[in-house]
Amino acid sequence: MKQIALYGKGGIGKSTTSANLSAALSFAGYDILQIGCDPKRDSTRMLMQGRLIPTVMDQVRERSAAAVMPADVVYTGFNGVRCVEAGGPEPGVGCAGRGIIATFQLLEKFGTLTGDVIVYDVLGDVVCGGFAMPMREGYAQEVYLVTSGELMSLYAANNICKAIQRLSARPKSRCRLAGVICNAKNQPQEEGLVAEFARRVNSHLVQFIPRDRIVQLAELNRKTVIEYEPASKQAQIYRDLAARIMENALFTIPTPLEIDDLEALAIEFM
Amino acid sequence: MTTHVRDAITVVHGPQGCTHHNFSLLHATSLDNDRIALPPLVSTGLSEIDVIFGGEGALDRTLDVVIARDPGAVFVLSTCIVDTIGDDVGMICGSKAGVPVIVVPTAGFLGGSFQTGVNNALIALAGMAEPAEGNGQVNIIGEKNLEYEVEENFAEVSRLLALLGLSVNLRFVHDLATDRIASLGAARLNVLRDPSLIPVGESLKERFGTPYITMYPVGISGSVDFLESVADTCGIDPHRAVDEERGLRQETLDDFADLAGSEVSFAPLPPDPEGSRAAQDIAHALRLDINPSGRPVPVPVTPPIGITGVRRLLHRWRRALHA
Repeated sequence: MKQIALYGKGGIGKSTTSANLSAALSFAGYDILQIGCDPKRDSTRMLMQGRLIPTVMDQVRERSAAAVMPADVVYTGFNGVRCVEAGGPEPGVGCAGRGIIATFQLLEKFGTLTGDVIVYDVLGDVVCGGFAMPMREGYAQEVYLVTSGELMSLYAANNICKAIQRLSARPKSRCRLAGVICNAKNQPQEEGLVAEFARRVNSHLVQFIPRDRIVQLAELNRKTVIEYEPASKQAQIYRDLAARIMENALFTIPTPLEIDDLEALAIEFM
Repeated sequence: MTTHVRDAITVVHGPQGCTHHNFSLLHATSLDNDRIALPPLVSTGLSEIDVIFGGEGALDRTLDVVIARDPGAVFVLSTCIVDTIGDDVGMICGSKAGVPVIVVPTAGFLGGSFQTGVNNALIALAGMAEPAEGNGQVNIIGEKNLEYEVEENFAEVSRLLALLGLSVNLRFVHDLATDRIASLGAARLNVLRDPSLIPVGESLKERFGTPYITMYPVGISGSVDFLESVADTCGIDPHRAVDEERGLRQETLDDFADLAGSEVSFAPLPPDPEGSRAAQDIAHALRLDINPSGRPVPVPVTPPIGITGVRRLLHRWRRALHA
């Protein structure tokens, strides 16, 4: 079983990439589980025809952890991809990080964490220990950073490298940086910049995903690109991504950059 | 502190475990002081789900249940987890009407010590009092309710105040009714149990203009010092009281004159330097010989208060020496 986690700046396209990746992997014949680890709970929406599925935390809140059954939290979406949303508190109260930890404990208890590939789609920043949960021992061993060529996005990716570096230093930790995915904003020299960033943090660019309007059209139709326009160029790119992730064997401990170095790098590619 | 306001209820906003130890300790201490009563302490009993979704609802519900019991006041103590997840305790407490609901910030990880918590609680409780017309009496501030001799020590302080013609207004806080707190500002003097309560003394001085002294009558010489300090602050002539107390002190030394010349050792010395100083003073006054090979005599964790406290200690020493 392969367990991968996608991290990156808020709004960079983690959920879109995750959903399309899961869809593409399912067509390659794999049994896929996608887990949305964000209180916003919209990771799996495109796999569920636009439906916001009940979250693990909502179920536990309504009927207590003992009464919740696996069928209450695992929903089968497009092409058999199993979908789970962790959920969490309303914005501004409580502790979303603890919600992620509680979700993992419950899924562990259910024995839900099975299949050929588990895709963890995690909230923008690793703001606390709870959001590092997918990187902890026993869960995702392969972390993919999703970033564009924009400085703020690279800054967030660099910051996540720090979390991976810290966690991978723990005894028995098998969490590694598996690569960088460039979800492009159509900036000049964007692919070169992100590839160079990946190299500097001791990793590699796995896939360059150009900006394409078809992604938005698919979303407006509540579908992944794979489902909405399987013959499109963009769908092929997601299938390429899926293939590369399955073949990937380059897992490293990242070397995060200093902010000055990161800025200098961005200026080089201006 | 807050549980000593007997008709009030103290709510600890956090998981049950944060209340359990306090409850047990207060219950056990009550039993030691011959008071058979459960402390009025209630937990909001936070669960993991409350932590994830926010504990404000649990506090709100607990407050409604507690207020329905018609207490004199409700005191709400915070805990580490609720300040970590950012529950707005002040907002929830402020939304309740009919009964004073008072927040005492007590999240340990934000710093401070046991004493900081005591001071915070006293200052919060003092917020229930308004400036009042003077009644010429004296408040005792911050008695150590967990010490075994709290009642004996209070009796000794009352006795000394009476020698000066003064009586006690409030024991703030010891076995108190909520409505009595209103008279806090009427006293002419606040006697702080020890100097660590100065922030409380200052706060009361600022609000009510009440002067304070920071001493209790510790050891063999403390009673006279205490009388002089109280008299000085209140503008009373202490001579008659001081003479009387000196007489009592001499009487005590005479009563235990049989111990003179005995070899004693203090082992182990208590961590409180005031306690060991008091023990040494008493030994010197009785002309005891302190040396490491002497017979060990007990030194209490907190120093003896007043001549009565000294007499109690000397009885224990006599038993040890004659054992």
